[in-house]
Amino acid sequence: MGSGGNPLMELISAIARWFDDPAHWQGAAGIPNRAGEHLLLSGAALLIAAAIGLTVGTWIGHTGRGTRLAVNLANLGRALPTLAVMAIVLPVTAAMDPELGFKVYPAIIGLVVLAIPPLLVNAYVGVSGVDREIVEAGRGTGMRERQVLWQIELPLAVPVMLAGIRSATSQIIATATLAAIFGGPGLGHYLVEGYAQLDYPMMWAGVILVAVLFVAGELVLAAVQRFLTSPGVRTGYVLASADHRARAIRGESA
Amino acid sequence: MRTTRMLALGASLLVLLSACSTGGGSKPTIKIGSDGFDEARIMAEVYAQALEAKGYNVDRAGIGLGTRDATNAALWNGQIDMKPEYVGSGLSKLGGAPTSDPAKNQAALQTAESAKGITVLGFTPGQDTNALVVRKETADQFHLTKWSDLTAVATQLKWGLATDCPTNPVCSAALKNSYGIDTTKLQVTLLDACSSAMDDALTNKTVDVAELCSTGPEIIVNGWVRLEDDKTTQPADAIAPVVRNDYLAKVDKAAFQAILDAVSAKIDTSTLAELYKEVSVDKKDLKTVAAAWLQANGFTQGTPASS
Repeated sequence: MGSGGNPLMELISAIARWFDDPAHWQGAAGIPNRAGEHLLLSGAALLIAAAIGLTVGTWIGHTGRGTRLAVNLANLGRALPTLAVMAIVLPVTAAMDPELGFKVYPAIIGLVVLAIPPLLVNAYVGVSGVDREIVEAGRGTGMRERQVLWQIELPLAVPVMLAGIRSATSQIIATATLAAIFGGPGLGHYLVEGYAQLDYPMMWAGVILVAVLFVAGELVLAAVQRFLTSPGVRTGYVLASADHRARAIRGESA
Repeated sequence: MRTTRMLALGASLLVLLSACSTGGGSKPTIKIGSDGFDEARIMAEVYAQALEAKGYNVDRAGIGLGTRDATNAALWNGQIDMKPEYVGSGLSKLGGAPTSDPAKNQAALQTAESAKGITVLGFTPGQDTNALVVRKETADQFHLTKWSDLTAVATQLKWGLATDCPTNPVCSAALKNSYGIDTTKLQVTLLDACSSAMDDALTNKTVDVAELCSTGPEIIVNGWVRLEDDKTTQPADAIAPVVRNDYLAKVDKAAFQAILDAVSAKIDTSTLAELYKEVSVDKKDLKTVAAAWLQANGFTQGTPASS
């Protein structure tokens, strides 16, 4: 029963003691600040990636132009390890701004490159996958292109787009830990310094905190998805097949 | 048909088996590891190839493993059999008080490591020391030549320290106890020790004071100023291979030690800096650099190791 001698129980109680230590809840290296940094970094990357990925994906889905180029470029981004992107851009951004250009911008750029593929591809699939008969019916009733896009295509594409946003968000939250390698913000500090100092409770605390943020992000986005999806679209079949297509284009197995 | 195939298969198996037995059947594979930075990695590779030249098989998976905390744990738990160790810093990590005499440090390190089942072999005449380095203009602006000069201006500077600094006795504790510099009150960026990230941070003014290796070629290449550790808090860090006793028990210990001691004896400070530079600045392949040095110093014959 007792924890003495059982390494697993000792580790668990060491992690509990780590969380229980008031010093770990204060200051720049404290949990609230690091978690806040992590969310800020992830949010900034997600916003930029969404601005690029959703816009381009919607545009090519609506016009059908440049599809192959855009999708292939986006998928190329998936082949670039985030750490490599960070290391490549760091000398350039650090020369522009010694502080943020070293610690923050490389991480944001790396995360944006990471997050664009699911955003772009899902926006493209969502918009282009809307039943052409519905689109033509809209045009037949005298809708302008802008109206077709905003009133027909986008509402119907929302579920697939949101699936892309959820996918991008979870990838960003997990990968944002890399920022700490260059002294940047976020929960990665507990992993990098925990490993350097071989402080297992600190490392586990980092893992647990990232997992908590990850789950919280999932829950929030699931609620948003439910809220934004128009009642008429909440049927399973259309969504499942569109999501399946998006995965196929991104090269994932369903 | 079938019998000839079986015969051919049998014959090739025999060839394989005999290749194995001549290669290292009598000498068990040694798992070599090292710290993460280039100097430690090249030293590990040099020792590795010197052993290979004498018929040992080497598993290199542990080279570049991480900080001393990580490599010590791997060594003590047997994930690696050997690593190059900095005798002074290694000693202080085990609770000892290193001096400026590497022989004393090595002896004290041996005492501390004995309990862990580790033998410390002969050390190099060459030394590397933890260095605090600033850009030329920072040195001029704040009139910095030695660590004591940092005390008064510590809060005006941005510091780049190693990721293990907060718990490393020769880092945070030394700065606080000997120089009155409390690193918890400073603007500190923690980066990998002696890494290119640390160099980049100093180059781009992300930090003003960087903790580097004294043999680090970037210091000279960039014209940076290495400050004098005037209270001699940093130990004399000669390098010595540290090896698990249970591995040494499986081989001819005297012959094994003779191979590595002969290599260590040839590594002076300028050799250390040169090897470090070839890997870190010239971006040459680790194996190529080690092979060329071993050949030039007569440890291996004509044909460099193909890799």
